Amino acid sequence: MYGYEITQKVKELTLDKIKITEGALYPTLHALEAEGLLTTKAEYIGKRVRKYYSLSAAGKAKSKERISELSNFIETMISLLDIKPKTA
Amino acid sequence: MYCISDHQIDFIQRDINRHGIITESLQQNLLDHICIIIEQNLEQNGDFEQFYATTIKTFYKEELREIEEETLFLLTSKGPHALFSRNQFFFLLFLVFIGPFIAYDLAWMRDSGAGFYLPMEILEGTMVFALFPFLVLFVLYLTPDNLDPLIPRKSKILIGIRPFIRIIPPNPGNASLG
Repeated sequence: MYGYEITQKVKELTLDKIKITEGALYPTLHALEAEGLLTTKAEYIGKRVRKYYSLSAAGKAKSKERISELSNFIETMISLLDIKPKTA
Repeated sequence: MYCISDHQIDFIQRDINRHGIITESLQQNLLDHICIIIEQNLEQNGDFEQFYATTIKTFYKEELREIEEETLFLLTSKGPHALFSRNQFFFLLFLVFIGPFIAYDLAWMRDSGAGFYLPMEILEGTMVFALFPFLVLFVLYLTPDNLDPLIPRKSKILIGIRPFIRIIPPNPGNASLG
């Protein structure tokens, strides 16, 4: 996905609750790319260059690890606050 | 859908460059992002320059170069680090270079039980070893920005492991690595 597409996807998935600003998105993408967690592919559109970002193998492993950490944290908070998960 | 011309693309590129976006890949990202917004939201006969001016303002809080600064910050700061304002940094230097001498004098006064009295040999030591760093810090702190100081006003100082110290000036175009 390219930058604009990422912001739109996040908006769509969170029903407009989370809006990623350009000022937060691009510095983070550059840092993740420098760390080797993202790979990029450039596409030339006339005088413009569109950069498509995707997770590298290291990025996928790191992402899995972070999602697991977040999941554990959320479970802990749910049990700590005694929140009953909604059932359909 | 608005069709953006090459001339307008050049205009946007020049503008973002003029406003402090100097990293090429970041320029490309922002240029493409702005172009997509314009293409999708500006009407065919809409006012390009006005729409662009309004759109670009939504990218930052105070200045566009914040994005460049944030990118450089994330790219250069590896491992644990701390970011200080200019005043905090000078206070830290003061504590490190002059603080020990003052602390020694205070400890000496406490242990000797002589109250606020220091014999000349202790006072001379403090003067010799604390005065020089104090003068250096004083000159560094007070040097006006038009004399190209080592640490300009409104700059930030990053202290970490790699790099050990980095001065982040208000204008990223003049960034220096220590």
